[in-house]
Amino acid sequence: MTTTYTYSLPIGPIHPALKEPIRVVAEVEGERVVRADVKRGFAHRGIEFMGMKRNAIQTLYLSERICGICSISHPYAFVKAVENAIGMEAPPRAQYIRTIIAELERIHSHILWLGVIAHEMGFDPLLYWTWKGREMVMDLLEYLTGNRVNYAMYMIGGVRRDLNEKKIRAIKENMNYYRQFNQEMKDVFMSDPTYKARTRRVSLLTRKDALELCAVGPTARAAGLRMDIRQDQPYDAYADMDVRAVVPQDITGEVMGDAYDVTLVRLYEIDQSIEIIERCLEDLPPGPILAEPNLIKLLMTIKRSEGEGVGRHEAPRGEVMHYVRFDGTRDGPVAWKVKAPSYNNINIWGRVLVGAEIADIPIAVGYIDPCMCCNDRVAEVRRGGRELPYEEVRRKCREKTMRIKREVMG
Amino acid sequence: MPTKMMMVLIKQMFRKPYTNRFPVKYAPKDVTGLIQKVLRGEVKIHPPVPVPEDFRGKLAYDPERCIGCKMCIRVCPANAMEFIPETRKIRHYVARCMFCALCVDVCPGKKLPGEEAPVKALKMSEEFLIADYDKYSKNLVEE
Amino acid sequence: MILEMLQDPLVRVAFAVLLPIIAIFLGLFYKGLDRKLSARLTSRIGPPIRQPFRDVRKLFLKENIVPENSIPWMFNAMPLVAMATSLTLLLYIPFGPFPAPLEGRGDLIVLLYLLAMQPLAMALGGFASGSPYASVGAQREMVLMMSYEVPLATIIVGFAYLYASVPAAASAVWAPFSLGMIAQTPVWAVVSGPVGIIGLLILLGVLLVVTPAELVKIPFDIAEAETEIAEGLLAEYSGRNLAMFYLSDAVRSFAMCAIVVVLFFPHTLSSLVPLTAYPWNTEPVLFTLETLWFLLKVFIVYFFAVTLVRTSFARIKVDQAAKFFWLHMTLAALFGLLLIYLDVGGWF
Repeated sequence: MTTTYTYSLPIGPIHPALKEPIRVVAEVEGERVVRADVKRGFAHRGIEFMGMKRNAIQTLYLSERICGICSISHPYAFVKAVENAIGMEAPPRAQYIRTIIAELERIHSHILWLGVIAHEMGFDPLLYWTWKGREMVMDLLEYLTGNRVNYAMYMIGGVRRDLNEKKIRAIKENMNYYRQFNQEMKDVFMSDPTYKARTRRVSLLTRKDALELCAVGPTARAAGLRMDIRQDQPYDAYADMDVRAVVPQDITGEVMGDAYDVTLVRLYEIDQSIEIIERCLEDLPPGPILAEPNLIKLLMTIKRSEGEGVGRHEAPRGEVMHYVRFDGTRDGPVAWKVKAPSYNNINIWGRVLVGAEIADIPIAVGYIDPCMCCNDRVAEVRRGGRELPYEEVRRKCREKTMRIKREVMG
Repeated sequence: MPTKMMMVLIKQMFRKPYTNRFPVKYAPKDVTGLIQKVLRGEVKIHPPVPVPEDFRGKLAYDPERCIGCKMCIRVCPANAMEFIPETRKIRHYVARCMFCALCVDVCPGKKLPGEEAPVKALKMSEEFLIADYDKYSKNLVEE
Repeated sequence: MILEMLQDPLVRVAFAVLLPIIAIFLGLFYKGLDRKLSARLTSRIGPPIRQPFRDVRKLFLKENIVPENSIPWMFNAMPLVAMATSLTLLLYIPFGPFPAPLEGRGDLIVLLYLLAMQPLAMALGGFASGSPYASVGAQREMVLMMSYEVPLATIIVGFAYLYASVPAAASAVWAPFSLGMIAQTPVWAVVSGPVGIIGLLILLGVLLVVTPAELVKIPFDIAEAETEIAEGLLAEYSGRNLAMFYLSDAVRSFAMCAIVVVLFFPHTLSSLVPLTAYPWNTEPVLFTLETLWFLLKVFIVYFFAVTLVRTSFARIKVDQAAKFFWLHMTLAALFGLLLIYLDVGGWF
């Protein structure tokens, strides 16, 4: 009888395959993973608590900083939630502009993922090439909103910047570029033998598992589930667009639920986004862009209103949901809950990693496009945890800042 | 085994690199010396990538136009504004600013005599090279 | 004249001492070219060509950390072994017009062992590191080595078989495994018909596929997979030891491409262009030209077998690599060998 020895291979919190801190401990037997454990909570910032101390407009900009990539998805869900709670609706033009920006973000996020997954399998030139193509949409977003990452575009009851003729023309040119670039990407990704070898039958997620573990977004769609908030509960301009979920059975005719299917879903979703943007531009209605242009008045309205609201948005990674409650005493939420798509999707790691090879770990980790700081809403301290009074934390922070300052300034 | 990727790569090889150039080709031994040389016009550097119109750079504050209404302080998500009661003006800490331009949106501005419409006291400039060691340096506090 | 000078044992020793230094320089220079070209392929500007030299200098200045739960003597010895074998490897390869310094004291078989030595040293160093990443990397390296050695050995057997068929009188020394002889008589002239040429082309293809595996480059850099096991074998190495591995890798890359050149493209410049017709036909000029020609050939092989391959493929998994070498490459190599057998036997 032979005895097999297993040993644990820690992936993270700091590891080249991870872009953000999370810990995956894999029990390995040779090259095969027999058990996997995920520990999260390294990027907890207490952002919900901070939001409950600010007014609604300030919290909106805080929500933009929950995630560095989906910097429109969280504000989108937040403004929908607040509008839901105070019974306000954005004017049609603002709704269309919101949809355009959200879809532009989907294009850049999906291309980002395609590059990241290529990097995970050591295919760096593909990363450089896809990200080179991504620059165009980043520049476009900078042109439309004034910044590359934190767009500061949405406002409760509308958007803050209008699209003029010049900007509309720039978007149209960009979409023509992306139609061509996406075709090239499809050719490259779908014909590459090593890419296929690394993703086919890797991190297989069955339809049943996806349902059981509440997978959302492209991950769930790759498993064959036709679920997409834009299709199931259309909001804003999506209601006029008749969005259909992109699933692999419509593309190749079969569902594997592996990393290759996720690639397909994402590639075809870029096409879908281009279509949505072009239709939005065609039907862009005239009119105001803000339901309440006076921000101080808006804050007063929020202060007077009582109630709770839920906002859902199909972020590039899946459904993001915000919940807010106002109690009529202050102009900010008294309760704010954020549920990011990675929160659901990280759960599937435990299942897809068992039986995988070590080489599959980065792909299985990367294929849901995890966003740690999106999903880290709670940090748990097991041993030696002690609650410090606010003043002491503040004093310690100051001491540290002064020390660093002395070191830097000399 | 020729793949599509190989074709893409070989095509790229004969094009100009896509990367934005660094100001100088290789890291200089003495950065401060280089900056001084550039200021004197002895060395030419690659210029930074131009920013688009409506770019949200460092906030420009004109105290002349400020009426001290404190609206910017109410909406500022980063609490980067401070009210100075003596002068009834604001002080803006750029180190805290997150460049959302909300204060610019709410600023009512002031109409100086002879003008038709009020002009805002705050506006976003195109300046973005504002890194500093000291967050309270002259460049990063506006009043 | 130069060749006669090289017969002098003293000159030969001097040459043998000088060659490793030249080899280190060339290895790092080719690495610089490789990085620059790889950057241009991916639309980047890339580091200056002298960057590998700076990297090595910096690594030598850095602290050499030996992990607590490692086996220190083995951990420290393996970089030296790897370095030494890489440099020895080069002493067996005819450097352009110059004969190999150790000419006649070893042949293709020794080369095969020396090629296996460096990965072995790296694997042992990995096992001695006492880190799970390094041991996974070392396991992978062993598996990979076992896989690509078979096609490589088949190629060498094919060569020996081919050269053994040459009548003894045709060459001065009858040594079918000698690299010197292979360098002097291009293999394409030894085969007699199209079948043999096809066989040789297959062997060349197999050798070009084995090259990146031999050099631990993408798509076969499985043992050093950065995103999977954090540089694997080298995870715990730092400072001087890492610099040694870096240098040995650079030298080996050059040597491996030089082996491909010597085996398959030993054609001298004078055999292609009638250099003797020109008036400046002095020996030093000829030797310089021939050396440059050799370096150019190595560079072309380097570009196609290493740079282009490592930029246009993803890293494959170790079981896929093993299957690929054991099944596809071994079969291809054996088929090439069969064709050469048929050719030599005069069946066609």
